[in-house]
Amino acid sequence: MNNSKVLVKNVSKLFPTQSKQSDKLLEFFSIRKKGAPRKVFSAVSDVSFEANEGETIGILGLNGSGKSTLSNLLAQVIQPTKGSIEVNGTPSLIAISAGLNNNLSGMDNIKLKCMMHGLSSEKIDEVRPDIIEFAELGDYINQPVKNYSSGMRSRLGFAISVHTDPDILIIDEALSVGDTTFANKCLEKMQEFKEQGKTIFFVSHSASQMKSFCDRVIWMHYGRVKEIGETEDVIKNYTTFTKEVNKLSAEEKSQLKNTEQRNQFVEPPGELYNEKVNGATKTEKVINLLLFIPLILLGILIGTGY
Amino acid sequence: MFNPLSKVISEQIKYWNLIIRMSRFEVKGSYQQHYLGTLWQFIYPSIQILIYWIVFGIGIRGGQPIGEIPYIVWLLMGLIPWFFISPSMIQGSNSIHQKVSLVSKMNFPVSVLPTIKIVSNSIQFFVLFAILILLLLMNGIPVSIYWFQLIYYFICMIALVFAFSIFSSTISTLVRDYQTLLSASMRMLLYLSPILWNPEGEMVPEILGNLLKLNPLYYIIDGFRSSFLSVGWFYEDITYTLYFWLFTFILLYFGAKLHIRFRENFVDYL
Repeated sequence: MNNSKVLVKNVSKLFPTQSKQSDKLLEFFSIRKKGAPRKVFSAVSDVSFEANEGETIGILGLNGSGKSTLSNLLAQVIQPTKGSIEVNGTPSLIAISAGLNNNLSGMDNIKLKCMMHGLSSEKIDEVRPDIIEFAELGDYINQPVKNYSSGMRSRLGFAISVHTDPDILIIDEALSVGDTTFANKCLEKMQEFKEQGKTIFFVSHSASQMKSFCDRVIWMHYGRVKEIGETEDVIKNYTTFTKEVNKLSAEEKSQLKNTEQRNQFVEPPGELYNEKVNGATKTEKVINLLLFIPLILLGILIGTGY
Repeated sequence: MFNPLSKVISEQIKYWNLIIRMSRFEVKGSYQQHYLGTLWQFIYPSIQILIYWIVFGIGIRGGQPIGEIPYIVWLLMGLIPWFFISPSMIQGSNSIHQKVSLVSKMNFPVSVLPTIKIVSNSIQFFVLFAILILLLLMNGIPVSIYWFQLIYYFICMIALVFAFSIFSSTISTLVRDYQTLLSASMRMLLYLSPILWNPEGEMVPEILGNLLKLNPLYYIIDGFRSSFLSVGWFYEDITYTLYFWLFTFILLYFGAKLHIRFRENFVDYL
């Protein structure tokens, strides 16, 4: 389709499971220890879907099902290990830890965050009153952010993010902190975005918020897509599933969780990081070494007082 | 093969506006909790100058001048560039580790983070530098054509600090021990540079003085001083000039390579 905004193809994200700090480093320089290769954790495995302009997609799932990893991938904060993600436009991720500077006042945080999102000074002056009004901070706007309540912080974070004019909005459970009044306000704002033809990803546990608002829902289950389809169907299946899980005894629950999670540990597929990481050719290596020869020669000259 | 290098440099140019605006916040934010605010940027150096002057100028040298120049003036010509170099290098190296969790939630050019630290430190440098020039004039140091050379050495200083910060900020994010080692090394490097004492003095064996020259900071600090004192032009010592620029280039070349290679995975490293 022409108006597809986000195209996710067979995306997997693997995380190495290091027991020691030094292993992490060796992994990066792709030096492997002898012996059996260690297993890696597959947080998201083989996920494919497409999102169109103006579509709102809910991402649903239990804790640890890869929702946040997927939203980080969509926001291009982290890179996929395998597969590709094509994004047409600038994505903006709204998470609870909105990355505000605690020492600066709310006002300065607005300026700083907008600046980091690449807004010009004029544009910042233009949106600032809107942000302050939307966040409902009143006189608190000139207080340092560390004095804010968690609700105020998430309101400010949300207000800034929606005013930076993103094409694709990824909301990672950011609404679960605010009260219902604020949540409704946010939903209204998102409705507005929807009408403007922006694509929204909505990560949440709350089936009710999703029902009122999403066109389609992706149900993530331990790193895999369990179901993707119309909101009503998926949510119905999901609630039946959670009810069933809740009926199980605590022991059965943890057993289920353990077996599912064990399946997420897989054999490392050769290179864990993208091939360009290891891509120094032989001639390049030689040139790199050659660079040092004149330096050493000059160094000897200087050291001996030429 | 020069792709990473040109990429890093073109990012600095492209986001220059952003760098300037963010540096202002950096300066504002760092002393937010203090009653004296940005005044601390000048109080702290003043205390250090006083201590070094007492210990080295009065205590060790007994108030003797170096050549015909009073020790305090000689000291300041080296110490004021050092007040810029040392914190810029340490903070520049730490900048990516410090900010990556914040900027990773958005598409932000990570390579400008060290530059922001350098630019925000340079404000203090310019003020201190102006005070230094005033002090030199008051002490009757003659102004000469050689003072134009100060601009050249300023460029050298920025180039070296930038190359070093790009290089170390990557390593420092991957290996935290590096940052601790760096802070300790910078403290020692102060004594191995011609700031507090004169390695070209009569009591120092020539071989030691020459070996100390391998430290590229020697080039900058000695350069600033010889420009102020109208000693000579930088191209008169072509070997040393070549050595300095080659050193800086290699640092920048590998720094940019490392940065580009690892930057997409910085977040995985926290």
